[in-house]
Amino acid sequence: MGVLDGGGVDADDLVERGQLQVFSADDDRVYSAAWQASVIDDALSGGYPTVRLSGEARTAWSLMAPEVHAGIERATDELCRALPVSVLCQYPSDLTEAVLQDACDMHRDGLREVLVQTSPIPGGLAIAGEVDHSNARIVHSALTAATATRPEGGGPFVVGLGAVDFLDVAGARALLTGTTAYRARGGMVHIPEVQAPVGRLLRLLGVDRFDGVSLEEWR
Amino acid sequence: MSGPSPIQSDRFSHDLLVHDGDGDLLAGTRAFVEHGLSSGGQVIVHSTPERVAMLREALDPHPRLEFGLDEDLYQSPTSTLFAYQRMLAESREPIELWATGTVPLGDDPATHPAWARYESAVNEVLRPYAFHGLCTYDTRVLPPDTIAAAKATHPCVTTRGGRSDSPDYQHPAEFLSNPLAAVPGPPESPPLVTTALHSAHDLRSVRRLVQGCAVGSTAVPRATIDAFVSAVNEVLVNGLQHGATPVQLTLWAETSKLTCLIADPGPGIPDLLSGYGYPEPAGSTGLWVARQLCEELFLSNQRGAGCSVLLSTA
Repeated sequence: MGVLDGGGVDADDLVERGQLQVFSADDDRVYSAAWQASVIDDALSGGYPTVRLSGEARTAWSLMAPEVHAGIERATDELCRALPVSVLCQYPSDLTEAVLQDACDMHRDGLREVLVQTSPIPGGLAIAGEVDHSNARIVHSALTAATATRPEGGGPFVVGLGAVDFLDVAGARALLTGTTAYRARGGMVHIPEVQAPVGRLLRLLGVDRFDGVSLEEWR
Repeated sequence: MSGPSPIQSDRFSHDLLVHDGDGDLLAGTRAFVEHGLSSGGQVIVHSTPERVAMLREALDPHPRLEFGLDEDLYQSPTSTLFAYQRMLAESREPIELWATGTVPLGDDPATHPAWARYESAVNEVLRPYAFHGLCTYDTRVLPPDTIAAAKATHPCVTTRGGRSDSPDYQHPAEFLSNPLAAVPGPPESPPLVTTALHSAHDLRSVRRLVQGCAVGSTAVPRATIDAFVSAVNEVLVNGLQHGATPVQLTLWAETSKLTCLIADPGPGIPDLLSGYGYPEPAGSTGLWVARQLCEELFLSNQRGAGCSVLLSTA
């Protein structure tokens, strides 16, 4: 609530009008797939055109085993595909490699971090913002998740970096390591035109000399 | 005393020819060019337009002999150094390269030490390759300190009598503390801004700060600023990874030059030449990239403890 108020949203007013519902994590009902489905159903049948949900993974992990939480995440994913629902799942940034990879696998519709966002595009993944040493592992995991199930025959996997304003060596390395397994299976990665400083670094590092990587010709 | 040993064509060599007339210059250049051509190498003769014209006249043409102008090939010490390295390291076929000529020292002796540091760094950067340099220094036009620096930065000296080890040669790491290298310190003017990093999450705000100061307080071109911000970022990451926190940053913004000092209280850096060698595929590339994205980068260990890195755009 404090965050919402700080961001210029009158949370109390929204709660009073019933448009915003806030649930405490220790409410036994909250972290179950069935409860989520019923809350969404109530809102939609109450006349709201869409429903948005958000929750914190760290809080969930304090109340249940991670596997149970992962099960709810998968059920949530299905709700998002079936109904006019958007869900923003909040994860701490200091996750271990494996947990981060699982989180990326379960959220292929997009990741949002302080500096970087990813979202699926036809035939690939778009990355926006700034990729540096602080968040390169998130980009690595997002690319690993996005290329994991992709067949290698269907044209190159496109990594859209046009909206990346800053990329450092750790970020450039994540572009390679996040697609290593896919390229090892024979998959191709294509990077369309990028901003000038990003292009300069990619050329300096010779990213296009790695197997299976091609860069758009740019000035 | 050992006799002069010939250049081994498959190994690095970087020789000095000090001359006071065109006769010695021509004889030394001709012998070097002929050796390079007979061993199957690519040979390039580079200098000022006048001298290139003279040498072109005197040397027989050959498909593997090229002439170039310093103003095209030697734009800045750092870009020249890494252009040679990339050409040799990234070639699909092994290259044997023989280059002879002058470095563009210019009329102002204050600019000479930057090229002396280049000459010294060549011994580190190009050592793994079949690169051969014969650098010609003309005592008629160059001051004694510049000639003395050349003797400290070339492992071998060539004369009419033959080739011998240079008694004044210093390893590139040692040369950095030679007064002839004139390694610059931070500017004497007060810094524009200082800040400290405690984790990788501070990188973005420090990049913004450096970029904002550079755009707002200098006339440095935008592409140079962007590259400098990248170089600073890599040095900061290096400090966070291999040093200790807080990593301190101090920025000076002069009209046409940015200078940044980055210091951390960690164990210090074992090799002051880190980031010169062409990186291994899985090796560390941050400092190698940083050295290429700015004009000057100096590593040093502080007296108490810790590492400091001074980098600038000019």
